[in-house]
Amino acid sequence: MASRLMDVAIIGGGPAGLAAAIKARESGASDVTIIERAETPGGLLDQCVHNGFGLFYFKEDLTGPEFAQRLIEKAKDLDVNLELETMALNMTQDRKITACNSKGVFTIEAKAIILAMGCRERTREAIMIPGTRPAGIFTAGTAQRYVNVEGFVPGKEIVILGSGDVGMIMARRLTLEGAEVKAVVEVLPYVGGLIRNEVQCLIDFNIPCLLEHTVTEVRGRQRVEGVTIAKVDRNFDPIPGTEQMLECDTLLLSVGLIPENELSVAAGIELDPLTGGPLVDEGRQTNIPGIFAAGNVTHVHDLVDNVVYEGELAGSSAAEYASGAASPRKRIIRTRPGKNIRYVVPHSIAADKDAVLYLRVKEPGERVSIKVGDVLTKPLRFVKPSEMIKIEVPARDLRKIDERAKELEVNCDVRRSTG
Amino acid sequence: MRKQDIICIQCPLGCRGTVIVDETGGKATLEGYECKEGKKYAEIEAHEPLRVLTATVITESKRRPLLPVKSSKAIPKDKLSECVRVLAGLKVKPPVAAGQVLVPDIFNTGANIVSTAEIVE
Repeated sequence: MASRLMDVAIIGGGPAGLAAAIKARESGASDVTIIERAETPGGLLDQCVHNGFGLFYFKEDLTGPEFAQRLIEKAKDLDVNLELETMALNMTQDRKITACNSKGVFTIEAKAIILAMGCRERTREAIMIPGTRPAGIFTAGTAQRYVNVEGFVPGKEIVILGSGDVGMIMARRLTLEGAEVKAVVEVLPYVGGLIRNEVQCLIDFNIPCLLEHTVTEVRGRQRVEGVTIAKVDRNFDPIPGTEQMLECDTLLLSVGLIPENELSVAAGIELDPLTGGPLVDEGRQTNIPGIFAAGNVTHVHDLVDNVVYEGELAGSSAAEYASGAASPRKRIIRTRPGKNIRYVVPHSIAADKDAVLYLRVKEPGERVSIKVGDVLTKPLRFVKPSEMIKIEVPARDLRKIDERAKELEVNCDVRRSTG
Repeated sequence: MRKQDIICIQCPLGCRGTVIVDETGGKATLEGYECKEGKKYAEIEAHEPLRVLTATVITESKRRPLLPVKSSKAIPKDKLSECVRVLAGLKVKPPVAAGQVLVPDIFNTGANIVSTAEIVE
């Protein structure tokens, strides 16, 4: 493929990239290309054979492959160009992407770029579990690929460290495939993933979830023979004397996801240390003009529906930028996480435009109010760090912000029990 | 009287409520559910818990060794394991269309096992 100037180039063909491509085409961009390193588009959805996708976006309960297929068909109908089995190697601030595939190394130049590289799993190295280094330790997502796509069950007796969604979903999947899941071990005092996964994947199958516990040692020479687990104190340090040995041949890790921003950092894109993703504005533009970001590369989502909404936002912004019609942003207000808020995306908003804020709390809480500055209050019955909160802030509310204010602080307050 | 704490899973909010079933009259009293869907779910869950089954079946395709499948509607929770055992014995030959019925009316549940992806070859 020879070098050519296209309207919008998208790195990553998962749900964020596909949604961005569809919206960019619908918003008038004529030449939209997705660069995807896998053989097929759809990203991680392909291996997520369970249901629960699309309840918001399609108002239907779909499996991962079904959700992906709807986006893929729409992208194809709109003549989105899919460069499959193609790897983006480098990206520059003047929007040139170096990529390679079986035809060789080539350069793509685009008027706008959307980053949609998704995220990666944290590994054993990231959490430093002591012990031997035998076979039989997998990240939950790798095990999911083995079981659902390639057709191998990674072990017979399994311990899962971390109660993230993929870990819980694999607990059910492996149980149904005939393995014995001995326990899910979670360092925090509450389950890490969505409530529906706790109910349908653990409680349904009587799989014990040991809260405030961690794996302190992996045992075994060639293959995992067992793990030692222990209760932890408030600082997550193992409490001596609480150790117990669990015999198992496999340890799965579901210990968090990290936005994949190697290309972004190399291009000088600034990241938010709280999300691990780029600092973005209300249209998902990064600090580099013409480079946008959406989906798990920006912050790790728990629902693909929100990934798609974010992809669409980036897609329409990128198409507008590529057309040269993007109006300069007038009054810019930074968002800031306040009390019990871990992060807020986007990091800045224009005071004259409607904004959608995505945020997470630090600690679970009941009967709380999310306060967006002093312009909007949203009462919520129950909040949990693993369940992202979405708040729509209309421009008419943003206009209430004091003219001199440069920041909008978001706080999560506990409501008084009277109401 | 039977009291059961049931977490609603109809949406990611996961309302935590309680269902009190009067065994003699079969009437249920619901506490703590915020919407119609939640109340409906909790009542069914207290009487007969239903789940959508998702799994994979082996294929004869060289490119794609497994085909993802689901039950066309939720089936009784206690039937999940039996259904999976039936699917373990199944081998499908491409081409398979997305939505194609592979096992009709599995265990008289009224649910079909359908393909959730397409295999061309």
